[in-house]
Amino acid sequence: MNAAIITWRRTVGMAKSLFSTALAMAVFFAGAGVSFAFALEMAEGGETPLAVVWASAVSPVLPVLAALLAMDSWSDERRSGRIESLLTIAVRERELTFGKFLGVFTLAMGAVLAFLVSSLAMLSFMAPGALANQTALSFVPGLAALMLQGALWCAVSVFASAAFRHAAAAALTSITLTVLAPRGLWFALMAWAPQGRMAFGEMPLDANVFDLASGIVSTETVLTYLTLTAFALFVSSKFVAAVRLVGRGARALRFSTGVAVALATALAVAAIALFHRTDTTLELPLAQHSGQSFSARTHGILADVRGEIHITAFLSRKDARFRQVGHFLRSFAREAESAGGARLVLRFVDPRWDVAAAERLVRDGAHEDSLVFERGSRKAFVPLAGGFDERLCASAILRVAVPPKRGVVYWTNGHGECSFRAYEPWGMSDIARNVAHYGYRNEPLDLADGEDVPDDCALVVVAGAKSDFSRAEAMRLDSYLRKGGRLLALLSASDAPGIASLLSGWGVRMENAPLKGARTLSGTDVIVSEFSDHPVCEPLKGAQVILEKPLSFTPSAAVDVAGADRVEYTPLARVGDVCVAAAAERGVGTGDDLSLRPTRIIAVGDAAFVMNGQLKMRGNANRDFFLNAVAYLSGTDAMTEPGTEASRLVSGMDRAGRVRFVLVSALAFPALLFVAMAAFVAVGRRRQ
Amino acid sequence: MYEVRNIAFSYSRRKVLRDVSFVVSPGEAVCIVGENGAGKTTLLKILATLAQPDSGLVMMDGQDALARPLKYRRQLGYMGEAPALYEDMAVKDYLEYRAALKGETKKRIRRRVGEAAEMCAVSGVMKSPIRTLSLGMKKRVALADAMLLRPRVLLLDDFLAGLDVSMRNEMGATMASVAAFASVIVTGHEIGDLAKWSTRFLVLSGGLIASTIPAAGLDAATVAARVENALKGAKA
Repeated sequence: MNAAIITWRRTVGMAKSLFSTALAMAVFFAGAGVSFAFALEMAEGGETPLAVVWASAVSPVLPVLAALLAMDSWSDERRSGRIESLLTIAVRERELTFGKFLGVFTLAMGAVLAFLVSSLAMLSFMAPGALANQTALSFVPGLAALMLQGALWCAVSVFASAAFRHAAAAALTSITLTVLAPRGLWFALMAWAPQGRMAFGEMPLDANVFDLASGIVSTETVLTYLTLTAFALFVSSKFVAAVRLVGRGARALRFSTGVAVALATALAVAAIALFHRTDTTLELPLAQHSGQSFSARTHGILADVRGEIHITAFLSRKDARFRQVGHFLRSFAREAESAGGARLVLRFVDPRWDVAAAERLVRDGAHEDSLVFERGSRKAFVPLAGGFDERLCASAILRVAVPPKRGVVYWTNGHGECSFRAYEPWGMSDIARNVAHYGYRNEPLDLADGEDVPDDCALVVVAGAKSDFSRAEAMRLDSYLRKGGRLLALLSASDAPGIASLLSGWGVRMENAPLKGARTLSGTDVIVSEFSDHPVCEPLKGAQVILEKPLSFTPSAAVDVAGADRVEYTPLARVGDVCVAAAAERGVGTGDDLSLRPTRIIAVGDAAFVMNGQLKMRGNANRDFFLNAVAYLSGTDAMTEPGTEASRLVSGMDRAGRVRFVLVSALAFPALLFVAMAAFVAVGRRRQ
Repeated sequence: MYEVRNIAFSYSRRKVLRDVSFVVSPGEAVCIVGENGAGKTTLLKILATLAQPDSGLVMMDGQDALARPLKYRRQLGYMGEAPALYEDMAVKDYLEYRAALKGETKKRIRRRVGEAAEMCAVSGVMKSPIRTLSLGMKKRVALADAMLLRPRVLLLDDFLAGLDVSMRNEMGATMASVAAFASVIVTGHEIGDLAKWSTRFLVLSGGLIASTIPAAGLDAATVAARVENALKGAKA
C-alpha cells in the first residue's frame, strides 16, 4: 500500500507539470459549462433541484476528463520504457495500478470540486435566484454520485492506458468504453427493442446520477459501480503484468492470467446479479431539496389504494422533461411500495418510436406529453405541460381508484370571453383540463338567458370579457356573490367597464398604473415574483408568474365596512408597489356566525395568463396560481402544497443573461483557466 | 552465490537462448559479450524477471529466485539499455521517489540517496531537472537508481553505449566499486573499456555461452584481444 501512496503522489505531482493536464481541465470546464448552462435552461421552472441539475450536467463530461487525465498514466511508462524499471522493483503491479488510479481520481475529483465552486460563484453573480434555498449540504449527494461514477471512469481509463503505448489510443479507447459503447448500446436498444424501450426510462448511467444526487441510494447501484471499478483495476494490473509475458515460456502464465481475468469477469457478473436481487433503496432526508418529498396526503392515498396501477409516461425521450419525469415516477413507485398500498407499474412510450402503443393511448384519449394512469378500464391523464407534481399524480391515482366529485366551475360566455373548450393558443382548454383533474366539472354559463347561477356552482370564472355585461347579467352575478358566491375574474385593459364596476362594489378597483422597473422576458410581458402570504400565492414564493401588460388594482371604497358586510382586500401579487392580482372577501368579520359562507373574489390583471399558448411557456407558475385560486375560491386546500413550489428552480435569467452565462462558464472561464495553468506549468519548467 | 542454470528462451519459434549457464560470485563483475541479436538483452531481461524462460533456473543462495520474484527483486538492481527516467523531476527528487517506491524507510532514504549519488558522481546535479542532463549524466542517474538499496545482484544492459571515453572510464570505475558489495552482470560491445573493470567475460553465441575468458590479473589489452578472438571464433 505504501507503493500505491507513493505512486499516487507521483501521479498528482506529475500532472502539475504537464500542459496536457491544463488542456484536460479546460476541456472539462468548457464541456461541463455548456452542459450545465443547457441543463439549467431545461430545468428552469421545474422541480429538479439545482444540485441534481448540476450533477446530471457534469456526469456526461466526466468520462472525457478521466480519459484525458489517465491517458498517460501507463502508456507513457510503456512508451518511454520506464515500465521496465517499475517492474523490476519489489512492488506488485496492482499496487502501482491502484496508485495511478488514485492519482487520476484525485485530479478528476479536484476538477469536479473546482467546477462546483466556480459554477456556483458564477450563478451567485448572474442568477442569484437559482441559489435560493440551496445549502452546501444539498450538493453532497451529487458529489458522491459523481465520485462513484468517476471512480469507474478513472479505473476504465487507467485500464485503457495500460493496454496501449500511445496516449491518444488510450484516450480514444477509454472514451469508447465509457461513452460511445454504453450510449451506443442504449441507442441500439431504443431503436430495436420496443419492450426494452418501454420498460426503461432514461439511460441508466444518467438515471443513476440523477437518483443518487436526489438522495435516493440504491445498494444495487452503489455496489455495482464499486464492483466494476475493482474489476477494471484488476484487469488493468493484469495488463501491466502482461509486459512480462513475452516468449514461449510465458505460456503457462498467459493461460493463468486469462483464467484469472475470466474468473474475475464471472465473479463480477455474479456479484452484480446478486446485488440486483437483493437491492435495497434508501432515501436520504433531503426533503426540501430533492423535489421528491411526498406529502402525507400522497402517502395516505398511495397506502389506501390497492391493486396494480399502470402509469405510462407518454412523451418523447428527447423532451427536456423526460429525465425528470422518469426520476419522479421511479420515486413515486418507491413511495407506493414503501406505503404498502398500490403497486405502480411504469412504462415509457415515445410517440415517435412506439407507434402502436402511442396509437392505443391516443385512442384512449391521451395526449402527447402526459402521464396516463390506468387501472382496469379507468383512466386518468395528467398533462406535463407547465409542470406536474405529486399532488396531481396522487389525484390521478385517486381518480382511477375512487373518482372524487366536486362542484361545477362555470365559465361565463357571450361577452367575448376565452373559451375553456378552445384548443387554440388563445383558448383555455389546457387549464380547464387541469381543473377537471381535481374533480370539478367545467360548464359554460350564459347569464343572458335569464337564469341565475346554478346552486352546484363552485365558482364563476370570467375569462376576459370583451363586451359589457348587461345590467340584468351583472345583477344576477352580484346576487350570486351576495349569497356567498365565488368569482375569479381575469381582466385586461380591453375589458368592458361592466365587470369593473361590479368588482368595485366588492372592494377591488381596476387601474392602469405604469409598472416601473418591471423585469421582462420578451419586452411586453412582466415577471411577477413578489407574492403576499395569502393562501393562493403563499406556496408560490420563489416562483414566477408571467403576465402580459397587466392591469393594476387598488382597494375601492367598499372595503372595510363593519359587521357581516366587512370586505377585506388583499393584494396577492405585486410588481414593485403596483398590485397586479388581488383578492377580496366579504363576511370575514362575522365572528361566531360560522354558517355564513363568505363571498370571495379574485381578480387577476391579465385575461390571457392561463391561455393555452401562455401555459406552454416554461418557467412560470401561472397554472399553479390559477389552480390555487380555484381551490381557494371553492373552499378546498391549495392544490399546490406549500414547500413544493418553493423548491422550483428559478434562475431569473433572461435571454441575454443566459447567453452571458454560457459565454462566461463555457468559454471565458475555461480559457482563463487554461492560460493560468499553462503559465504555471511554463513558469515551473523555466525555473527548473 | 548467483547461478544461472540451463536457461532457454524463444520468441514463438525462434530460439534465442538454448542453454545458458554460469555462476557469479559476490565481488565479481561478469561481462557478457556477443554479436547483435545474440540474446544478451533477453538474458538480462530474464534475470530481471521481465521475461519468462522456456526452461532453466536462476538460483540465489541455492534457492530458485524466479519462483519467489518479489523476494528476488528486493535484492536486484537493473539498468536498462536506455536510461528511462522521469524527465520532469530533479535528480534528488527522482532518486528519493525511487528509494521510497523500492520500500526504503523514510529515515534512511536521504542516506541511501546520498551514498548512491556520491558513488555515481551525480551529487553536483542533484537539483537539476533530469531533462537538462546529458546522456552520460542520465546514465549515471539510472545507475544510481539501480544501486540505491545496495542490491546483491546488479544487471547493467549495454551501459557504456553512447558515452565518450572519459565518461566510459568513470562509469566503469563506478561499476567496479559496486562490485565490492554485489555480483555485477554487464553486457556491452565496448570490450576494451569493459576489460579494464570486469573480472570475467562470457561470450554468448548461438544461444550458448561459447567461451569464458578470465580477466582478473591480466591487462585490458590482452583480455580485449582474447575476447575479440573468441567472438571471431564463435562467429566462424
